[in-house]
Order: sequence, then C-alpha cells, then structure tokens
Amino acid sequence: MNNRVSRREFGRLAAAGASLAVLGGMMTPAQAQTRLRLIWWGNPDRDRRTNEVVDLYVKQNADVAIDPETYAWNDYWPKLATQAAGRNLPDVIQMDYRYIFEYARRGQLADLTPFVGKSIDLSDFDPNQLASGKVDGKLYGISMGANSMSYVYKPAQLEQLGLSVPDATKWTIDDYVAMGKEVKGKLPEGLYFSENMAYREPSLETWVRQRGKALYTADGKLGYDLEDLTDYFAFWFQMQEDGLTPPADLQSQAIATGKMEDTMMVTGHALFDFVHSNQLVAIQKLVPEELAITMIPNQKDGKPGQYLKPSMLISMAATAADPEAAAKLMGFFVTDESANDVLLIERGVTGDASIRERILPKLSETEQKIVAYLDVVGTHIGELPPPPPKNAGELDRALQPAWESISFKKADVETAAKDYYEKAKVALERA
Amino acid sequence: MATTATGEIGAGGRPVAAASNLSARMARSWRRNGAGYLFLTPWLIGFFGLTLGPTLASLYLSFTDYDLLTPPRWAGLKNYEYAFFQDERLRHALWVTFQYVIWAVPLKLAVALALAMALDRSVRGVGLYRAAFYLPSLLGASVAIALLWRLIFGADGLVNHLLFVILGIKGPGWVTHPDYALWTLIALAVWQFGSPMIIFLAGLRQIPQDLYEAASMDGAGPPRQFFRITLPLLAPVIFFNLVFQTIEAFKAFTQAFIVSGGKGGPVDSTLFYSLYLYIEAFENFRMGYASALAWLLLVIIGVFTAIAFLTSRYWVYYEDEGR
Repeated sequence: MNNRVSRREFGRLAAAGASLAVLGGMMTPAQAQTRLRLIWWGNPDRDRRTNEVVDLYVKQNADVAIDPETYAWNDYWPKLATQAAGRNLPDVIQMDYRYIFEYARRGQLADLTPFVGKSIDLSDFDPNQLASGKVDGKLYGISMGANSMSYVYKPAQLEQLGLSVPDATKWTIDDYVAMGKEVKGKLPEGLYFSENMAYREPSLETWVRQRGKALYTADGKLGYDLEDLTDYFAFWFQMQEDGLTPPADLQSQAIATGKMEDTMMVTGHALFDFVHSNQLVAIQKLVPEELAITMIPNQKDGKPGQYLKPSMLISMAATAADPEAAAKLMGFFVTDESANDVLLIERGVTGDASIRERILPKLSETEQKIVAYLDVVGTHIGELPPPPPKNAGELDRALQPAWESISFKKADVETAAKDYYEKAKVALERA
Repeated sequence: MATTATGEIGAGGRPVAAASNLSARMARSWRRNGAGYLFLTPWLIGFFGLTLGPTLASLYLSFTDYDLLTPPRWAGLKNYEYAFFQDERLRHALWVTFQYVIWAVPLKLAVALALAMALDRSVRGVGLYRAAFYLPSLLGASVAIALLWRLIFGADGLVNHLLFVILGIKGPGWVTHPDYALWTLIALAVWQFGSPMIIFLAGLRQIPQDLYEAASMDGAGPPRQFFRITLPLLAPVIFFNLVFQTIEAFKAFTQAFIVSGGKGGPVDSTLFYSLYLYIEAFENFRMGYASALAWLLLVIIGVFTAIAFLTSRYWVYYEDEGR
C-alpha cells in the first residue's frame, strides 16, 4: 500500500520536475546559443590569464558560452589525440609548431584563410610569425607569441664570482668553457658551472644549426650527420668529466621530471641553465635572486643557431560546429586590446605590432627583459627550420636515454651517438 | 510464491512439451532472479560497454596502423612481427619487467607472511597494528606516494641526508641512477605488503591450533613447526597470493610512471612493459602497435599463471583433498 502511494507520488514528482526543466529551458533562451570549447596547455599563471580573457569575451558576447579545458604539456597531447580519434576535438585549440603539420595534414584543423580580414584581423601582424602557421599554403594556426632559446643566469652571483657575461651575440663555446674552468675552483660543493644540456633537443638543434645544418630536412629526414651528434655528445661529456656540469645522477633529477622546479638552476646546482625566453617569467618566480638571459654561445665561426619560434599557435578544429564563432574568439585572443592587456607576453611576444606597442609599458621588469632579448636575438637568427616530421617527438624523448647511457658510462660517446642516429633513422621511416 | 508456478504445471499431470517447460523454467528463474539481474544492470552495462567492447576493439586495432588522428588501416601481422623480431626496446622492457616480478613478488610475500605471523596473536591493540601495517597498501598505489618516493630517494633526498649524517657516506641519487632506480621501485612494491598480509592472516587463522600443540608436545621447535605445519597448510593461500601478485607485478605502471616522470628512465632502467605500452600508445601515437603489445602481455601473464597452476599440484596441499 505504502509502496503504491509512493510510486504515484514519484510519478507526479517526475512530471513536475520534467515540466520545470522544460520551463527552465524556455526561460533562458537568449543566453548561450553557441557553446565553444577551448583547450590549452600551460601553468597556473597562464590558466588565470586565459580564464580572465574567456570571462571578458563572454561578457561582451552574451550569446556565447565557453567551456575551457587545460592540461600540463605532458598530458595535453595524449588527451588531444584521444579527442581527435573520437572526432571530439575542442573548437579552439592551442597548437604547437611540432604538431601543427601532423594535425593539419591529417585533416584535423580548419583552414583559417577565409576568416582573415573578417573575424581575424591580421593587418598589423608580422609576416614572418604568420608564416609559421602555414601548412601547404594554407593558414592552420596563428602564432600567439614568439620566443627563442636562451641561457639563464643570476647576474649578481656571477659578479660576486668575478665573472662577466660577454656580448650575447658574440660569445663562443670556447668562452663558455674558459669561464667555467676559471670559476670551477671557487664554487662551493654541489654547485656547478652549468647544467648539462646534452639531453635537450633545442640544445642539439642550436648546435647543428650553428654548423649550417638542421635537425630535419624539409622532406622529413635527419638533417645532420652522425659526426655532428658525436661531437655534440663528446662536448657535453667532457663538460661532465671536467666537473663543469653536475654528475649524472644529480643531473638526471632534472631530466626525469622535466619540470622547471627540478632544473639545476632552481635547485641551486648550476650557474647557467637553459630556458625558452618566455619561461623567464615562470622561472623567475621560483628563484629569489634576479635572473637574466643571454644567447646560446656559438661555435667558432658558426652560423646563427637560434631562431624565433612561435611558442604556441591558436588553431581551429576542422570539426568545429560554428566556425564563424570560433574564429571570432580566436581573433579576440590574437588582436583584441583588452584581451592582450591580460595576456601580455605570457605566451611569448605577440606578432601584432600595434598590440606590442600597447602592452610594452604595462610589462614588468622581467617581461621587458624578454622583449629586449628577442630584439637582440632578432638580429642574429637564422631561418625558421622546416617543421619536425612525424615521429619527431619520439626522437626528442629518445635523446634522454641516449645521453644518460653516456653520462652514466653505460656506453661510450661514439657507440651511443651511432646507436641514437641509427634508431632515429628507423623511427622516422616507421609508421 | 515461486512454488505455485511449479505446482500448477505439475498438478495438471499433462505431458508438458519441452519448449513450454523451458519457458516456464525461464519465467520461474526470472521471477526468482530478475530483481538480481536488474540490480546488476549498471555493472553489466559497464562490463559490456566499458570492458568487453574496448577489449575486442583493441584486438582488432592490434592488426592495424592507427595513429589516433587518422582512421586505422589494416596492417595484418605487421605489429606482431615488429614486436617479435625487431623491437629491441620491447625486449629491454620485458627484461626490466621480469627482474621486477622475480624480485618484488617473493620479497613482498615474504614480508607479508612474516608480518602476518607477527600480528597473528591476541595482544592488546593488535587490530590497530594490523590497520597501521595495512596503511601503506592503501597509500602505496597513489601518485602522492610515488612522488614522495622521488623525494626520499632523490640525490638531495631524505635517505642520502640520513646516510650522510649517520654514516658520513655521500649516497647516489637512488631513483635517478640506472643501477639503483629499479630497486627503489622494488622496495616500493615490497612496502605495499598489506593485501597479501591480510589474506595470510586469514589463512593462519584457519590452521587448527591443536596441530601446534601436538607438535610442541613431540618436541618440535618453532622453525620446525613453521616448515612442517604453517607452510604446508598455508600453501593454498600462498598460491593464491603468488598468482595474484605476479599478475599485479606484470601490470605495474603507476609507480614507474611517476617516479621516472613517465619516461622509464634513467637509461630505460625502469621501463616497465606497461609503461612502454603507454608510451607507444599515447606519446608515439602507435595505438595499433600498443594494442598488439597489450595482447602479448595478456598472453605472457597467461603463460606464467598457467605455469603456477601446473606446478601447484606438486606443492599446494589442500586439506580436504585427503591425500
């Protein structure tokens, strides 16, 4: 009996609930006709800025609702690939130069050319930075800012040790080594001259570019010779053996996590470390002393090793349900003044000249250093290298165990270099 | 209620056709068990939709080239051929995994058994101790503990500080040195002895106390009692734990993933099979190849379990067998 009553009651309640839901749906018709999904990788600072821009946009465009998603770099690409497999990519995607060709050539990204000059105004945009988003003549991504590789150090610490960093554009690897040898005896235990950068792909890339080569050729093969790699490993191994860089097991701590908190600079084990220029802001937050950045020293009579890289691009999924709305949001990120007042140069220095002028005085001291640095680098750079081929990410990661087999003396330099080189060739050919 | 249905058919005394008999039986069983199945639906949906479906899909994918971004392309046996004949890194991953299984499982069981015996007595507060010893297992598989492990065994970690303060030795970075990294993971596994310990405790409770009394009457000391009574009577439980822990060890992933930053380093020294599988699937985007690896792992685990079962007749003694 009791049972029956409650069942009837339940039915009534359910009906009431359903009609309420319908009413509720009808009562808010104007809002959120379009839902856009936006995804990016980053750090807490970037998340805060990006969410703030999203709020700004929604305030100005009441008919749009935005679902933001954010992940750390390592989790981002598995997530994105899985969503692509499910034909469920977010509408607006933060892209990387390494992946834009893969995604574009596999039909996952939308060509942005139809929106340029309409919802995306690129009239003030640096054509070189724009070129980095082009694949096969179509525009698949817009640079959200440029950066370049750099060495980071603490000026006060070097001064105290009686060292001065030479002109960024002129100093050589010989200067670097000489400086290390000079200072070695004065360093307390556990502090080394430089982090050992052998395992970092950008470091290898700079090395081969200084020799007029590249990591990859335009047709997706290795762009350097075995000899270049052997020399490279030999150089860094000598640095380790001379005690200028930390011993292998200490250095491996930074290699394993790949996190900024674990770098030799932040953990206080090295005078010099490697960062991408836009990361200066983040690493400065982790180090109490003031930091500065300079260019990577060149080889003797070397060519310019560095280049201006789009630190990230903004792209649209080919599956975007409302491309016009997605393009409008992208345009907001790239060229809107109020949006860029919030974003500043956290993602890199913008390619839009008028935005750049506008935000320059708003930058902190550290951020201004980055802009000044890129101005210097801009005069001493080579061309943007061809985009990395498929499986390039695998080679990037394989560099770490290859280097560690040398640093832990599991293999000699020649053997390890040859092994890596051969495996790299196989990996590039493999599906 | 259910008996009335039976009664009606039986009481009529008519020759009942097999089919209607069957349907009646089904109706009866549905009446009896229907609610049960109804309550099981969430699980059944989960099993068919989330377990069986993807499992079969991965079998299909293991015969394809699939990079997630483009639809899978049929590749025949290519993935398996590569795994068997060409993939050196896979061979290395297998070797690392075997080492891990061979050390971690027996050590873990030994520790679990030792502690179970120590806790198998009625001291005041023994329940508290049992809970305390089980705690690492609750925490152990978590990301936080793996991260903590990094800090404890890192070059600047707690272990090295203690070594330096107490013995004046400068220790290496245990998790970051290829000669020791795997051992820190084995230690982490052994530390998570909780669930086999609980099972051992239950097993120890099953052993009749009069056997021990009789043995001590006959002058058997504790070691002899252990080898002659405890071990043989515990054999089924040991067997169960062995099979279970071996399977778990082959599947080990989280610890290596976190401790090595997802890379299996240094120098691939902690590259567990499942970690390599993950890297191939989600970092190198070879979902087809990774699916093949998953099926190979299933076969490998199956073989080891089969070996355990086949040899068990020689060392596992079941009391009710009356041998």
